[in-house]
Amino acid sequence: MSDRILQMEGISKSFFGVQVLKNAQLEVRKGEVHVLLGENGAGKSTMIKILSGAYKREEGKIYLNGEELPILTPKEVIDKGISVIYQEFNLNPHVSIWENIFMGKEFTKHGIIDSSKSKSEAKKYMELIGLDCEPDLLVGNLSIAQKQMVEIAKAISMDVKVLVLDEPTASITDKETERLFSIVRELKAKGIGIIYISHRMSELFEIGDRCSVMRDGEYIDTVELSKTSVEELTKMMVGRSVSFERYQNKALDTKSEVLKVENLNYKKLLKNVSFHLHKGEILGMSGLVGAGRTELAKCIIGAYTKSSGTVYLNGNEYSNASICKSIDHGIVYLSEDRKDEGLVLMHSLKDNIALPNLSLFGKFMLSKSKMECTAKESVEKLMIKAHSTDIQAKNLSGGNQQKVVIAKWLLTNAQIFIFDEPTRGIDVGARDEIYQIMGKLVKEGKSIIMISSDIPEIQKMCDRVLVLKDGEITADVKNTTELTQEKILSYALTGGK
Amino acid sequence: MEKFMKGKKIDVQAFTLYFGGIIILLAFTIICKINGKDFFSVQNIMNIIQQSAIIGITGIGASIVILTGGIDLSVGSVIAFVGISGGLLLKAGVPLPITIIACLIIGMLIGLFNGYFVSVGKVPAFIVTLGSMQIFRGFTKVLTDGKPVSGFEDSLAALTSGKVFGIPALVYYVFILYAIMIFVTLKTKFGRRLYAIGGNPNAAKLSGVKIRKIEISAYAIAGLFFAIGGICLLSRLSYADPNAGSGYEMDAIAATVLGGIALSGGKGKVGNTLVGALVLGILKCGLQILNVATYWQTVIIGVVIILAVYADKANDRKAE
Repeated sequence: MSDRILQMEGISKSFFGVQVLKNAQLEVRKGEVHVLLGENGAGKSTMIKILSGAYKREEGKIYLNGEELPILTPKEVIDKGISVIYQEFNLNPHVSIWENIFMGKEFTKHGIIDSSKSKSEAKKYMELIGLDCEPDLLVGNLSIAQKQMVEIAKAISMDVKVLVLDEPTASITDKETERLFSIVRELKAKGIGIIYISHRMSELFEIGDRCSVMRDGEYIDTVELSKTSVEELTKMMVGRSVSFERYQNKALDTKSEVLKVENLNYKKLLKNVSFHLHKGEILGMSGLVGAGRTELAKCIIGAYTKSSGTVYLNGNEYSNASICKSIDHGIVYLSEDRKDEGLVLMHSLKDNIALPNLSLFGKFMLSKSKMECTAKESVEKLMIKAHSTDIQAKNLSGGNQQKVVIAKWLLTNAQIFIFDEPTRGIDVGARDEIYQIMGKLVKEGKSIIMISSDIPEIQKMCDRVLVLKDGEITADVKNTTELTQEKILSYALTGGK
Repeated sequence: MEKFMKGKKIDVQAFTLYFGGIIILLAFTIICKINGKDFFSVQNIMNIIQQSAIIGITGIGASIVILTGGIDLSVGSVIAFVGISGGLLLKAGVPLPITIIACLIIGMLIGLFNGYFVSVGKVPAFIVTLGSMQIFRGFTKVLTDGKPVSGFEDSLAALTSGKVFGIPALVYYVFILYAIMIFVTLKTKFGRRLYAIGGNPNAAKLSGVKIRKIEISAYAIAGLFFAIGGICLLSRLSYADPNAGSGYEMDAIAATVLGGIALSGGKGKVGNTLVGALVLGILKCGLQILNVATYWQTVIIGVVIILAVYADKANDRKAE
């Protein structure tokens, strides 16, 4: 086909003797948004890293506009017109937007950087994608969505032919997502081929043209998105169908209140927040990014010091909260940021599980065998996929990392679990397992607060839903079939007015 | 991704260290033989051990701080300050045991000072300890107007050179101190927390680790070990020199790095620092025996440090 811009075929790669890509392929047309879909560990990111030159392929060929590309360095790949925008941006936060856009290819006049020309050129690219601010601004002061636009502007300035977007909507709001999509559509119209990686099914159908599915390092199939369904794609990804039924919680005991928060204030981020949590309840906490949900959780466990307000645990006032005290009182927080706040990535699975529970393993001298034994039990109980408890946490997939985080807090014998975005960046199969673990927890009489931006997930799992907007609770409602996605969204956007 | 890690990873760091150490040892033995000298003479081995001992002891302190992701440059100044303080106390007639205790307390207080500014004050460890390196070197000179203190009783020298089963006491100290700190770092809650805050302070904090407490303790322990090093040096030389110990910060850090503890924190074993110190000691003595000029010795040691870490990073380079 003549409009084929990028073709990767027969790509194989192995690490330490384990094959992670087997004869994988990908074909992108000009002016197409090509979705790359697969569970975590399916080989998507390895595929992209081979394209970007971060990894060297062992076998296979890559063609760009029909020209075969040899194995190139990341810089050479960019020069060829292939840009990858990762979730973690590749920007220098300490310098301005224009310096970032033209990093490494500054406009010069007699060997001195021509800043006025650079700025006006940068402005041109920024206007092109609707980034409406001064090119002098420091990148560190921009929002995540704005940083993303800077990355896109940078790619366009380099005459990009193939643009890879890795989970571009993972941490931006719905409104920003709309804006991103309109940019993507413009790039499409320019004939740029776009590879789009995301786990959010609904948006794939909105933005994508075709979709290639990978599983276990192998290419499965490419389909037209207009001719397929979520169920079909899910089946291709996992090789089995996943249920979308609502969870039926039979453990809820509305008579006993395990946690009560009254008029909690924190800086200007939380305003007079009051709510309660029952025993055996899964309480959903919805809202836009920045609505104050994480801050609320961190105030309750004492990671942040609340400005005012009272917290009651089992009817008793809980004052002078600190993280240690909260762990002792049986209330724990599972961070939305597994890599930065949940795990010590360079340490073993075993050490990570043991960290908040060191007292279990001896008063003075820690028992290695006890630690090993406990870690093994956790691995079995939560079905963590790991060959050994000595495996470094960074070598686990997202879903398994999340299970390790859950395992370490389960051991503390906590009664209240605050899950912050428990399934972010986790594939469908592992998500289901995490829901099952939550179900088991409430069955054992524990209580859960689930902070999530994924509204279907809130609808599926929760007994009751709180919605926060700008630090205030705008809804505290039972989760029934009447509570539609639109309703939850309207509480989050406008307070339900 | 979990598939990658089927087998246990070979400990590349330990391998490089031991392998490198043996090669250096062999090289010296052979070169000495060719030149008609005996590298393994009793006197020479004693020399190596004495050289390595104080690097080894101060290396423990440096290792503990580096494990938390910090750095401590005050080593040499603490050695000198403790040496002069101890010397002046002894001269003033204070009994030796009390002098030793006072010196240890001084070392810990300097460590607490460093730890406070690093952990509570949030000043980068490099800056804080660069400052205290200057401050205590300065104090040392103020105390004696830059003049050395000497003329001590034999009991001071006996502290390190006194022999038990024919081996100087200093050697026993090194092994006892290492045994204790290997145990503390690997087998106690404090040790695990030390690694955790070096590995990822955010995760450690949310896991209920009291970061400040652990971090300040680490600097205090480091100060304690620098003080022990200072006392040992004072005893060995029987002479308190306000310029003593300069360059020891680099030796202590070099032993740590050679031993494979990551400067970014959270990774490595304190026990290997002793091997790192021995490698440095062998290098220094070996070069002396071969009559390599001191200036060249410095060059060679610098090269060896870079080469060791370079070899160590082979896997990181290959991973691309």
